[in-house]
Amino acid sequence: MQEIWQALVQAVNLIVTLDPEVIQISLRSLYVSASSILIAALFCVPIGGLIHFHDFRGKRVVINVIQTFYSLPTVVVGLLVFLFISRSGPLGGLELLFTPAAIIIGQVILIMPVLTGMTIGALSGVDKSIRDTALSSGASNTQAMQAILFEARFAVVGALILGFGRAISEVGAALMLGGNIRGYTRVLTTAISLETQRGDIVLSLALGIILIGIAMVVSVITNILLQRY
Amino acid sequence: MAILQTVDLEQRAGAAVLLNKVNLSVEKGEIFAVIGPTGAGKTTLLRLINLLDHPSAGDIYFDGDKITDPSCNAIQVRRRMAMVFQKPAVFNSTVYENVAYPLKIRGRHGKTDRSTVSGLLDTIGLGGYARRKAKTLSGGEAQRVALARAVVIKPDLLLLDEPTANLDPGTVKMIERLVMEFNWDSGMTVIMSTHDMQQAQRVAHRVGVLMNGQLVQVGRPHDIFYSPDNARIAGFVGVHNLLKGNIKRSESGIAVVDVNGKDIQAVSDLPSGSAVEIYIGPEDVVLSKLQSDGSARNNLRCTIRSLSSNGPLCTVTADCGFPLEVLVTDRSAVEMELRPGKEMYASFKAAAVRVLPSMQR
Amino acid sequence: MKTLFVNRIHRVSIPIIITCLLVGVMLAGCAPAATPPAATDNTSAQGTAFPITPGTPRFKIATTTSLYDTGLWNYLEPMFEKKANVRLDIVYAGTGAALEYGRRGDVDALVVHDPEAEAQFIADGYGINKRSFAFNHFLIAGPVGDPAGIKGLTPEQAFKKIYDAGIADPSKVKFISRGDNSGTHSKEKLIWQAAGLKYADVEKSGPWYVEAGKGMGPCLLMASEQGAYILADISTFLAYKGKVNVAPLVEKGDLFLNVYDVIAINPDKIKTAKMLPTANTFINWLMSDDVQNIIATYGVAEYGKPLFNPLKGGGCTEPGCPKLEDYTVPVK
Repeated sequence: MQEIWQALVQAVNLIVTLDPEVIQISLRSLYVSASSILIAALFCVPIGGLIHFHDFRGKRVVINVIQTFYSLPTVVVGLLVFLFISRSGPLGGLELLFTPAAIIIGQVILIMPVLTGMTIGALSGVDKSIRDTALSSGASNTQAMQAILFEARFAVVGALILGFGRAISEVGAALMLGGNIRGYTRVLTTAISLETQRGDIVLSLALGIILIGIAMVVSVITNILLQRY
Repeated sequence: MAILQTVDLEQRAGAAVLLNKVNLSVEKGEIFAVIGPTGAGKTTLLRLINLLDHPSAGDIYFDGDKITDPSCNAIQVRRRMAMVFQKPAVFNSTVYENVAYPLKIRGRHGKTDRSTVSGLLDTIGLGGYARRKAKTLSGGEAQRVALARAVVIKPDLLLLDEPTANLDPGTVKMIERLVMEFNWDSGMTVIMSTHDMQQAQRVAHRVGVLMNGQLVQVGRPHDIFYSPDNARIAGFVGVHNLLKGNIKRSESGIAVVDVNGKDIQAVSDLPSGSAVEIYIGPEDVVLSKLQSDGSARNNLRCTIRSLSSNGPLCTVTADCGFPLEVLVTDRSAVEMELRPGKEMYASFKAAAVRVLPSMQR
Repeated sequence: MKTLFVNRIHRVSIPIIITCLLVGVMLAGCAPAATPPAATDNTSAQGTAFPITPGTPRFKIATTTSLYDTGLWNYLEPMFEKKANVRLDIVYAGTGAALEYGRRGDVDALVVHDPEAEAQFIADGYGINKRSFAFNHFLIAGPVGDPAGIKGLTPEQAFKKIYDAGIADPSKVKFISRGDNSGTHSKEKLIWQAAGLKYADVEKSGPWYVEAGKGMGPCLLMASEQGAYILADISTFLAYKGKVNVAPLVEKGDLFLNVYDVIAINPDKIKTAKMLPTANTFINWLMSDDVQNIIATYGVAEYGKPLFNPLKGGGCTEPGCPKLEDYTVPVK
């Protein structure tokens, strides 16, 4: 128990003294996960919209499959992507393994199901009358979809925050694909994993506290921005 | 000049027929009320006009253009119309943004547009509400916002689907007044559906009765109310003293109708033996202590069953061999010392009795 | 009423600002930087198929955990980066994983300490230009009370005793094995063999034998916590001395010799391995006087003796030491 208090102290210390290594790792975590969520959102929110707004055979099945993939084990995703981007794999020529880009790829794949599924959920929660209201006000189909998306904005942003959380907190893919290379692909989670393995519990906890702190700041800022609109 | 016309409009949902060969014609600048019981097809009809749904058969013409034609640009057509739905629908943003929405999607953000919105908010009585979150409004306030949103772009045709259902009387009045004002000020045509005949009477220039998907009668409110084409319509519009009977004999335009064993003389050309439904306006019946020998052909002895005051008037329910409702002034009721159990004579002219052929209800 | 207009500005500008920030960060990270890793170092891969802007080339090595846990690489990394003007990426992996990365060409050189596995690796054609650059010894550590009574025995004798005692009373005598095909694990298997025991039997013989599947440092921590015996290399042992409660019990034995080798990945076999020149530079550099001198003194201040021993200068004299050419002849 004492470790937790020590960890808190150390966390504050690391932040206040702007420990360069910790800052570097934290910024990298932020950068990698933010990139992942933005890239994933670029695909998943429109795809979620498409799935929601169109009726087709097997729509229920598709949604079920998406929801199943919420629980993709991170290390499995890491392993699969590794096989692809390893120099001896089909995409080896791109020299992606052990780079931050590889981690981003892994995380994007990991959070795509969550983002898509929750976008669909968010849109489903919007009253059907919104579409009629938009159309009868003279909206085109695209404008109507935008109106519905806007109505669902809180839920969609919630999905984004969830996706970001999943990305920034995962270890398996980051480790396998990034290699935890100091100064290049080490992120908070892989650093925590390393320090835990080496027995430095206090440092691990401190890094963990910083990780949670970052997640909280991101969530708060996002919500403030959203409230304004 | 008809701004909106439907030709043999039909709508089916599976085996159910929602609209059956509806031929509607609405004149430019008028307020047209579509009345009918729940499930008659009113909402279906309005949605088809607004091009929110496709008809199974038939055509709709708007300002001369066939808008049901596949080549027609639905968005452009809808931009000349606006619709307010039964359930107040507002976006999850501010009141201002709600009302400004139709302007926004047309790319209009100018200063005049902004002042149009503000002015409209004042008109509907929500002047200081611009920044309020629309979701926090009451039902009546939200519906006013919906109405403002509909008229902000000055549509050629305003469609209202039972806009005051479930609202308090104060709001109902306000919305009716606003609709009439908008119609009067800008000449926008209004098609309004309602199940309330009184509302149609207050607001509309013309009324169409929709029953079971069919447009069964169209005319001025007065005509519908006082000359319904058939008993079903009569029942719906709420005529009083609707009674069943049989024509015993008929000559020179006067028929004697047997209602529950009593003879009632009425104006009708229907042949004797016809099963009929008659109705008598409560205001056309005169009560007196003595059997009158005035011009009224009908004089019946009745026993008063109950009295009910409505302001300056009093509704008397009497048993004349059949139930009869009579409308008298409160003062007369007092003067005649009306009370339950008292025996009086009820007299009314033959012309006051409307006769309709009986139909399957 | 400027609400609508201002809202519109916000709605458009905020996403633009955020996008610009992100793009800025990404581009900043990609700018060529000759200095060693600083904050937000996000350069993408080497200047071939993928990068946004060509950065400093990256040279990847896989290293065993024992070298890593002692912090020696933290020390050497910036030196090599400056010398060869590359980014040195060090992936921490056990020998088994390191060899796999090597076979896949995902790293450009290996630094490992498993002679048998290395020989196989080279025989299969994956590795070339093997050199040795440092050595140290293993030791058997265990609980201070030494319940199995192995102090002063030879490695093989000690192992046999632990085996017998462990089977007899696993609550008193336990052994932590790396269990991860690392160099240390291979050495452990050799000692069991020398003790006259078949490894397959040892593995299944009882709860006294614990396969941890972790790196050297973590295994030491585990041994400390569980009061178990463990085979460890002296450098990691010393580096963890302050954190663990195990005593060195058997320190002498031919089998304890532990030589660290560096192998380059063979571009003839692995078409994607393109950093052979840098690998050769790396290998030669490890054998150079500069590095050998550092190795000779690394850890003295903290632990009283160096954690590793340089090969140069003939420091290794016992049987099993590498031949002179293995640690002096530069590769071309």
